[in-house]
Amino acid sequence: MKIDIAVPSRLYHFRPNPLPVILVALMAIGLAVAMVRFASGIGAISNLSNTYPWGFWISFDIYTGIAISSGAFLLAAAVYIFEIRSLRPLLMPTILTALLGYFMEVLALMVDLGRPERIFNMLFYQNFTSWMLVVGLCVMIYLAILAVEIAPIFLRGLKQDKWAHFARRFIKPAVILGVVVSTIHQGSLGALLLIQSAKLHPLWWTPLLPVMFFVSSISIGLAMVIFESSMTSRYFKSHHLEIKLLAKVAGAIPYAVGIYAVLRFAQLFLSGNSQYLFSSGLMSVLFWVEIVIGVVVPFILFISPRNRADPRTLLIGAIILLVGMVLNRFNVSWFGIHRLQEVGYVPSLAEISISLAIFSFGILAFGLGARYLPLFEDSDAIAERA
Amino acid sequence: MATIQQHAYLFDATRCIDCRACMIACSVENSVPMNDSYIWVTGSAVMGEYPDLRRATMPYHCMHCLEPDCVSACPVGAWSKREDGPVLYDEDKCIGCRYCMNACPFSVPHFDWDKGLFGGALMHKCTMCVQRLEVGQEPACVQTCPTEALKFGEREALIAEAHSRIAAHPERYIDHVYGELENGGTSYLILSHVPFGELGLPDVGVTPVKNVSEAAMRATIPLALGWGAVLTGVTVGMELNKQRKDKAGKEEPAEVEAAAGGKR
Repeated sequence: MKIDIAVPSRLYHFRPNPLPVILVALMAIGLAVAMVRFASGIGAISNLSNTYPWGFWISFDIYTGIAISSGAFLLAAAVYIFEIRSLRPLLMPTILTALLGYFMEVLALMVDLGRPERIFNMLFYQNFTSWMLVVGLCVMIYLAILAVEIAPIFLRGLKQDKWAHFARRFIKPAVILGVVVSTIHQGSLGALLLIQSAKLHPLWWTPLLPVMFFVSSISIGLAMVIFESSMTSRYFKSHHLEIKLLAKVAGAIPYAVGIYAVLRFAQLFLSGNSQYLFSSGLMSVLFWVEIVIGVVVPFILFISPRNRADPRTLLIGAIILLVGMVLNRFNVSWFGIHRLQEVGYVPSLAEISISLAIFSFGILAFGLGARYLPLFEDSDAIAERA
Repeated sequence: MATIQQHAYLFDATRCIDCRACMIACSVENSVPMNDSYIWVTGSAVMGEYPDLRRATMPYHCMHCLEPDCVSACPVGAWSKREDGPVLYDEDKCIGCRYCMNACPFSVPHFDWDKGLFGGALMHKCTMCVQRLEVGQEPACVQTCPTEALKFGEREALIAEAHSRIAAHPERYIDHVYGELENGGTSYLILSHVPFGELGLPDVGVTPVKNVSEAAMRATIPLALGWGAVLTGVTVGMELNKQRKDKAGKEEPAEVEAAAGGKR
């Protein structure tokens, strides 16, 4: 049978472009470095040590990667649970991003785990006091859920409209389960750090870490939707920018970062840890940088409707928010953790090359998805076919 | 030797001469290389201002907590606490996530950084020489120590002995037995003449660090079920609302037509 993959002509025509070549080259380098790791151990390519058991991979690929995948559950909830149908055009690109994001995390784990071949031990030997088990199971379950959520589009890309229609039936239950699993997953990354109360600096450690992680993941997800739509509309010339929708999304950001800031500072003052706000040297500086660029600047930028209607300000504001919130993830999982031995850690080039390779894979896969799947169908077209 | 209920070590820093015989004994007994033995010596720097100089050392190894955080943290249950004291490792379950290294407030477990996919990377730490306990012997490090800086026995008895040593020479010791209460109590008890931080020991509270983590875990299932119920409720509510609107939308024109027909 001939499978005819339709490429809507209005979408995108490949111009001669160096980007895919660079991405494939980065992937090849990363693959070679990974081979060295599998042959001779994590120590052969990384600067990780018994003092720094977790480093760049965990902070970047896992903590950052999962945080920026949160747009999918937010939009899926908005569209399928709260029936905010106008947001539909933004939904599928975001779900594809999350699916790729979670898959990228699995790739990163294959390098970072000491015994990747035993990953499924998490299904056979389960210790239900372990947040690491929760994190692992959430990744597995949510990957399956995202696959269900994207199935209709994928099947339509293959011209299997009957099956696409069939797959649509499972979307609502999948979305509900997906929101619950995502909530737990975002929170569980914070909960992983609960057990490090003697190590993580009190500017970050609080019993409310899971709540902080969940609340901050909301603003990260909203900013990612803006960032991603802005970038795809630049790269895929014919995909026009849904500026009205993005302005709507941006309108939620002041609330999201506002609630987060109130929680952070209320917790610090009520616990008495506000004493460290200005007295902990580098830790205080990191805290304030994180708060100013992750919370204060985005709040000021996005509170004004005029800024929200301007594509440039939208994109810049989203990037500023993401940088600040990503710094938060680095602070809690790396910079803010006290070490017993005075050993330094700077990630090696090989470590970074692994993350770059995985990142390149994600961008390339998204590009292919955007080219071959009806990702950017507007809401009317989807409603008609349904 | 009467059966010991809860094995423990007592280390007295005033007696340690930094000879490292414990490391050699450990290395030989457990067949691990010297630079990778389950013991490492901490706190060997010279502290204080001339002429009040002091130097204290300690063989650092697993504290064998009464309520171990590694056991709580391990996703696959590779760590376990044996009733009579030792914290043990099942190398067949471990997936190498190294979360135990983060969870342990004493940063004890060590990882095989130099083993690849076929080398079988694993975690390593002191086993309390369980193979020697089985045959009624003390751990190798304790048996070897030439100055009796290390002692092994029943935890309660060792705590009592530690306090009586402090009482006999209050000028010599800091009046605290590290490990009696730290992190819920440990099976490695430490006496010192210098602040415990100088021996490389962390400042930990008396409640095990796993407590908050486990409390959050207990709250998760009810929260998740509640959240799922709320979302399902909203979804069904929105759906019913939509259906009612659709129905009303269909009925209205019919009524209008009927009304119009009646007039005709």
